[in-house]
Amino acid sequence: MAAGDRPPRAAVALITLAGVAGLGLLAAGATRTAPRPPRPAPGAVVNPATGRSTVPAPPLPRADPVRITIAAIGVRADVVPVAAGPTGELEVPPKDRPTVAGWYRPGVSPGEAGNAVVVGHVDTRETGPAVFFDLGRLRPGDRIQVTRADTRVATFAVDGVGAYPKTNFPTALVYGDGPVPRLRLVTCGGPFDERRRAYRDNVVVFATAVP
Amino acid sequence: MKTQPVLVSAALGVGLGTLLLPAAALADTTVSPATTPVGGTVVLTSTCNPNSGDAIFRVTGPDRDQNVRSTTAAAGGGLSAELFTAGFTLGTYTVTATCGDGSSSGSATFTVTPIGGVPAGGGADAGNGGVVAAGGTLVGAAAAGALVLARRRRAATRA
Repeated sequence: MAAGDRPPRAAVALITLAGVAGLGLLAAGATRTAPRPPRPAPGAVVNPATGRSTVPAPPLPRADPVRITIAAIGVRADVVPVAAGPTGELEVPPKDRPTVAGWYRPGVSPGEAGNAVVVGHVDTRETGPAVFFDLGRLRPGDRIQVTRADTRVATFAVDGVGAYPKTNFPTALVYGDGPVPRLRLVTCGGPFDERRRAYRDNVVVFATAVP
Repeated sequence: MKTQPVLVSAALGVGLGTLLLPAAALADTTVSPATTPVGGTVVLTSTCNPNSGDAIFRVTGPDRDQNVRSTTAAAGGGLSAELFTAGFTLGTYTVTATCGDGSSSGSATFTVTPIGGVPAGGGADAGNGGVVAAGGTLVGAAAAGALVLARRRRAATRA
């Protein structure tokens, strides 16, 4: 074969490069996994019924929460009211708003006597990690601040973090009543069921109002 | 001297009050459990004397005001009724009981909550679909290019 019949070197190089890059991308696609939320650390859970705080803050009057700040995990999110859907499950903010948290409006407001409940997505399929992705990293003593519509800021200290199977949700611990202002943050966690596209557990943060 | 009768009366009053206090303290209403997911059942219990007739539990709360008549003599000596919360609006309800003799038997509260866990996660997608598609496209293009070059080379060899 004459030298002129040989394929151009540039074409060979381009084809080789495309082949190698393509195989690399295929290998990456086969091995890359989605980020999963952190689980509560051992020792992060204390008796959530009593809490750690010895001198809780006095209760505030009712006022809608408008913003939640958790400096320890970099959360600064708007809060919107939620209730329950047709099936009776607690609503969460729309999936297209994964960066906002939802306040359970039929319950007490943050700062009032009793348990105020705030829920947020851990992640969504479309957008990845969401507002409460790092909730499992919180440790006892971390501070949570909730800015209310009356401009007051209710500050809570984390008592503990727990993971509970959704089939055994701790209803009384989350929605319970009482004279002390407490806060419950709820999101998803634990093993992820790829077939059902759902997490097995709920992660719950227990916190008590502090002065 | 009038001091002695007054002292005796006071002592009798205190003694009588002490004797009656436990009975008064027994006049009470409880709800168990105090928190239930909507659709659950709570048991309303009053310490009313069953011999006085049925107790009436008045349940008030978000858009609800209903009376429930006691149906069962409670194990501890009072009266009780079951309340099914299907269709209840979420929130806190107050139960006040009135005994068969018309006396009040105190009040208690219970809370109707959402059902079960919270669907707050959809599982982040790793974004592998796009990566695999790009990889497949590149590999396909490389294969096609190699095929074209091989054919040209074969044709040139024949010529």
